[in-house]
Amino acid sequence: MTREQRMTEVFVEVADSLIDDFDLIDFLQQLSVRCMELLDVAAVGVLLADQHDILQTMAASDEHTRLLELFALQHDQGPCVDCYKSGAARTNINLTDPKVTAAWPAFAARAAETGFVATNTLPLRLRGRVIGVLALFQSDPDPLRDQDITLAQALADVATIAILQQRTLAHSELERGQLQYALTSRIVLEQAKGILAERWHVSVDEAFAAFRSYARAHHHQLGQLAREIANGTFDTTQIPHQATAPPRP
Amino acid sequence: MISDRMVGVLRLLQLDDWSDGVADVTAAGAEALGVDGLAVSLVTEGDLTELLWCSDATTRHFEDLQLTLGEGPGLDAARTGTMVSVPDLATVRMARWPALAMEAPDLSARAVFCFPMGIGAIRVGVLTAVRRTPGALTAQQADDAVLLADSLTARCLGSGEPRLDGPSPADSPHTLQHAVIHQATGMVSVQLALPLPQALLRLRAHAYSSGHSITDISQDVVDRRLRLDPNGNGTPPPTVDKD
Repeated sequence: MTREQRMTEVFVEVADSLIDDFDLIDFLQQLSVRCMELLDVAAVGVLLADQHDILQTMAASDEHTRLLELFALQHDQGPCVDCYKSGAARTNINLTDPKVTAAWPAFAARAAETGFVATNTLPLRLRGRVIGVLALFQSDPDPLRDQDITLAQALADVATIAILQQRTLAHSELERGQLQYALTSRIVLEQAKGILAERWHVSVDEAFAAFRSYARAHHHQLGQLAREIANGTFDTTQIPHQATAPPRP
Repeated sequence: MISDRMVGVLRLLQLDDWSDGVADVTAAGAEALGVDGLAVSLVTEGDLTELLWCSDATTRHFEDLQLTLGEGPGLDAARTGTMVSVPDLATVRMARWPALAMEAPDLSARAVFCFPMGIGAIRVGVLTAVRRTPGALTAQQADDAVLLADSLTARCLGSGEPRLDGPSPADSPHTLQHAVIHQATGMVSVQLALPLPQALLRLRAHAYSSGHSITDISQDVVDRRLRLDPNGNGTPPPTVDKD
């Protein structure tokens, strides 16, 4: 398939999701994966600023803790914070150049350990305001071309639209309400991961993988299912998982 | 971003003893949000049950009415965890809150905004702002209200325990935002068969008594280097015999 065909497919898929009742975290996660494939980068994350102006990871192309921690490390420093504060896209940031990374040494060290050599950050823009960041990580130093950057910004804008488009249970009219609902959904998901990990005696990553496979296979919305698990209204024995021996008493 | 006014309100809230100063906090809070009154109601098992504090008669009447009728924006905010904004009560559709819509013409409250207090699936209560004139909140006022609800959440969760928003040398502000804390909360709730709010309090209490940050304690729980026991002490998990 040519790149144009793949791009067309992705935009059709995205538009279809936005018309239907969609689950925001699931949507952003799939958007991250598509973004990674289309732009041929190593990892993608969508970060949203919370009420304290701290960037929180909403979704990533790879939900492993290792990558999530790299995003989380940017609560007070890193290229994503710079992008959020300035509101301007910054592309082809060379993470191996000490002059470039001098402002955020902790982040640069962790990024290097994870195998990333370059990053690109694009703002999630909303009527002159910035609500978050789309981050692209590369494990090869080839700079992204202008057309890739344009595409990445379009995907960042799609993420913004999805966040504001989500049908919250109470139909919140305020933008802040939409953002809060998205952030809360992510927190519920983390709480549910912990519940499942402890119940099954597996890591949170393994718990999430089993949980997501089950949700996809049964057409459950990830966010809704996480809520039911956290509230104790869903029988989690229905979810197939790798069981390991519980710690001995 | 937070307004300077709301910074002042949150500072009032941080004072150690505001049991006498609730009136000051509510008055300052209402002024910052451009409304006439504020109320905090608590949530039990997903429903609004109890009015914790309230600034004025108009707000009290509205809160009482919601609780009596069993419907309204506050109850929706409590159930869904989403903020609910009603800029003009006179134009509320009957289908949304039929009983409340019947009463609306007789109320002095004209605009109501409800902000859920909680952390993820943990629901603590609802902050309600009431105005006697119709009109939406500005984006700034909505941001401020979310931050006020946040501070109140920490305060209400901490009652009778080391305060969640209290001074702990190892914790930075806004520390409750880390994903690892939410994961650890879920794990501890299973380990100790506790509801999520109590699980979070146990994590916080352990952090407080051990002098570590709640983020570090949570990381230890998630990595299974630490299990909290029912008596309130933390122990390393039992070692598994190695080959």
